[in-house]
Amino acid sequence: MTGRTRLVAMRELEAERAQPDGLVAALVFAGMLVLLESLAFGPGRAREPDVASGVFWIAILFAAVLVGTRSFDRDLEDDAIDAIIALPGGREAIYAGKTLALALLLGIVATAAAIFAIFLLDLLPALAGHALVVCVLGVIALAPVVVLTSIVALRVRARVAVVPILSFPLLVPQLVAATQGTSAALQGRGPEALAWAGLLAAFALVYTVLGLTIVPAAIE
Amino acid sequence: MIETAASTFPQARLRPWLGIVAVAFSILALWMGLLWAPTDAVQGDVYRIIYVHVPTAWLAYLAFVVVFLGSIGWLWTRRPWFDALAVASAEIGVLFTGLFIVAGSIWAKPTWGVWWTWDPRLVTTAVMFVMYVGYLLLRGLSNDFERRATRAAILGIVAVVDIPIVHLSVLWMNSQHQLPTVLRAAGAPSLDPSMGMTLGVSVLAFTFVYLALMVERMAIERQKQQRVLAVRELSAPRSGELA
Repeated sequence: MTGRTRLVAMRELEAERAQPDGLVAALVFAGMLVLLESLAFGPGRAREPDVASGVFWIAILFAAVLVGTRSFDRDLEDDAIDAIIALPGGREAIYAGKTLALALLLGIVATAAAIFAIFLLDLLPALAGHALVVCVLGVIALAPVVVLTSIVALRVRARVAVVPILSFPLLVPQLVAATQGTSAALQGRGPEALAWAGLLAAFALVYTVLGLTIVPAAIE
Repeated sequence: MIETAASTFPQARLRPWLGIVAVAFSILALWMGLLWAPTDAVQGDVYRIIYVHVPTAWLAYLAFVVVFLGSIGWLWTRRPWFDALAVASAEIGVLFTGLFIVAGSIWAKPTWGVWWTWDPRLVTTAVMFVMYVGYLLLRGLSNDFERRATRAAILGIVAVVDIPIVHLSVLWMNSQHQLPTVLRAAGAPSLDPSMGMTLGVSVLAFTFVYLALMVERMAIERQKQQRVLAVRELSAPRSGELA
């Protein structure tokens, strides 16, 4: 990790700490979705591993778009984006730094949502270690795509609608892999959970490399 | 620096011929598909929609691979020709992906009993369709030519990851959809030779239709680009003038 990537990531986290509206909105949203799941499906069905893990990852997906969009909104409102671009060094660092910060913030949201689900739904994974691996890789696999689409949609009309329209179809394989992997870990199917985790790692790698290669061209 | 001079279209000489060849092959494919090819022993005449379904699937893949290549070309060279190639192919690709889904749905009703099922192949194809609709939407929301082309190119490159997922979804996941008929890892296509020949002619006919549409759409896009770039050149301050 270059110094500039670390600088961008630290700046993102510091901005979120000073003005945590994106993170708070994501946390409230994730918690609300767990509650709504229990009400919509009923407590019995809400505890089913497939349903619970599906709702959990949909919450993380929406939270990712929320936090990612808010990060760029803040930069645009403060005209900070021009200053970040003007810093010496490669534009890859902006992409890498933003991705790293988003993954860390999503880690916080995922931890809170998991605690919430365990507490409210009495949901304990049969293989906690496997579930943790799937969650970490799932969060890492979501972040590059959300940052990529946020950059592509930067300064575009109707950006709030464009980012989910562009990122959700790209994130379908990651969503399926994360949901299936979490469900497998909840039910004690270790090898299956690890296979899905491997797929998530592959997607994270592909989109990170693609992003670092081509996204800097769109940063202006 | 973007080239602004009016370049001759390499496809200009092909324009009238491609249309004629496309129509001729389409008539031949229609005759072979409806009359010449034998009736399927299991599905009866319903199976004949394969002569539309498979070629539209092929064109969906082809069109989006061309979007990918055009996108790389634009990012690498900044020649507007590549952007015109990408946008023309994306629009035609969306059209044929829509037809691919509709033809599949018409085939599904008599064979599976439903118009739509949440099968991996169907879902991944629908996702691919939405992805390229998003690509076209993104293009429509940006006014600056260079910015629009660059951003669309990035999406055009990233979205191509979905094509192998669509094609191989029937192998990777528990699917109701039949396994690939033509592009199979196991070797030769699993079809009767006369059916295979009809399918080959249909694929060729659809490919010529795609090429004919591409040439026309690219010509329109190039004219648009030249207008935009000419206006920009005229409005740019000349050397010695105050900005």
